[in-house]
Amino acid sequence: MSTATAPMPDRGFDAWLAHGRSRRFKNRAILVLSLAVLAWCFHDTVMFDTDWTRMGGALGVVGTLERFLWLDWSLAPSLVVPALETLMMATLGTLLGCVLSLPVAWFGAANVTPSRYVFYPLGRFLMVLSRSIHEIIWALLFVGAVGLGALPGILAVAMRSIGFISKITAEAIENIDPKPVEAIRAVGGNQFQVMYYGIVPQILPVIIGTIIFEWDINIRRSAIMGLVGAGGLGLVFFRQMAMFNYGGVTLVVLAVLVLIAFGEVVSHYARKAVI
Amino acid sequence: MPVLEVRNLKVRYAATGPQILKGVEFAVDDSDFCAVIGPSGAGKSTLIRCINRLVEPSEGEIILFGQHVCRLAGGDLRRLRRRIGMIFQEFNLVNRMSVMDNVLSGRLGYTGAWRSLFKAFPREDIERALHLLERVGLQDHVDKRADELSGGQRQRVGIARALMQQPEILLLDEPTSALDPKISRSVMALIKELAEEFKVPVLCNIHDVQLALESCNRIIGMQDGYKKFDGPSRDMRKEDLDAIYAMEVL
Repeated sequence: MSTATAPMPDRGFDAWLAHGRSRRFKNRAILVLSLAVLAWCFHDTVMFDTDWTRMGGALGVVGTLERFLWLDWSLAPSLVVPALETLMMATLGTLLGCVLSLPVAWFGAANVTPSRYVFYPLGRFLMVLSRSIHEIIWALLFVGAVGLGALPGILAVAMRSIGFISKITAEAIENIDPKPVEAIRAVGGNQFQVMYYGIVPQILPVIIGTIIFEWDINIRRSAIMGLVGAGGLGLVFFRQMAMFNYGGVTLVVLAVLVLIAFGEVVSHYARKAVI
Repeated sequence: MPVLEVRNLKVRYAATGPQILKGVEFAVDDSDFCAVIGPSGAGKSTLIRCINRLVEPSEGEIILFGQHVCRLAGGDLRRLRRRIGMIFQEFNLVNRMSVMDNVLSGRLGYTGAWRSLFKAFPREDIERALHLLERVGLQDHVDKRADELSGGQRQRVGIARALMQQPEILLLDEPTSALDPKISRSVMALIKELAEEFKVPVLCNIHDVQLALESCNRIIGMQDGYKKFDGPSRDMRKEDLDAIYAMEVL
């Protein structure tokens, strides 16, 4: 009998039995309550919210899914340009994100921040802001601001990248070995030289690894940017869906898959090369 | 002629923390190779770091090359620092940079922003760096990364970096503590030889009393933030040593 969590309150067999009974009762009550909550969720979201007549039985579901299997290869040639556009969006977005991350990481690293009470909280806030807004929301904002095309996609990807890159960079800066920094200060180096000679060489492998990883993720993000009008493969996906050309939709999905696999392979070797 | 004068130096790291230095006074002559000895926690490292203001003194005066070190700030402080060479206990090299770049970084105080950005050091700096690397016996390791070298070799890079500054005084913070006894002696001998060649006075923290007596002409003994001995190393007697090391401070 485990007495670690609930010590036996009383001595003797009867007390022991009563204690076990009350604990079993409590466990059962928790189980019943959990099942009730689960049933309630299922009822309200799945039972109540689904258009059962439109689904039309098990055969109907299979039949609808089957339409996606007939690939529309005629679409293939017109996927090359959007695929490249997606790749470029990811690349430019990552680069822009890196540039924008520099000041954010500088502000948000406790040991180098220009001011602990103004810039440090600002840097940390920007990191959270960048990550807490979904890339689709960023894209919607930029489509509104600069219009349709790849540019809003690049901006959205860049904004979304800042959070991760600057957070990892700031943490790398906080974890550096302070001894070389002391040496550069001792030779009379200024603030820039201290950072460039004392800090940057130490954090470079981490940063490059992070950027490659972020680029890999950004390919996925760029692939869906078109859903809100920001160019790339997502736009083709959206059009095929609107035309009910299910075979075309599947082909676009395959193209995204190929692109992501490509990014995966490239980033694997690139990261190996720097580490 | 004293190059360095320290008067009534007191240091406290935090307003409420313990006092590390409790009023230290001494002067260093331009021909001195001066050792600071004492048990751990006596304040040796703090003392050395006050002189180039890596540590802020809370009271007292430091006069180096006729300038009041404690009153300098910003650019003036950096211009003073570049005249002070420093060699560290753990070498303080940038491990991921090449030996050459580490040595050249000793020149940063004299290098402008654009040249630093592209690591484009002037020709005479590069020639000087190559010459110094040869002097410390590392001519075959110029393009290696600093972390590929052994401890003794790394400290030689540290020596070359300090001399790159063409310093007018050398501060050594336990330069041999991370090395084995044999290498310690050869590194110390090299520093002594180069200090004499370039006519640089030296102020040196050192743990190893034997090594201090062998290589320094003057000894300052520290204990618990106070100076307990100050004189030529040949005057140092066993009683003086016993007095310095009587109380271990942890």
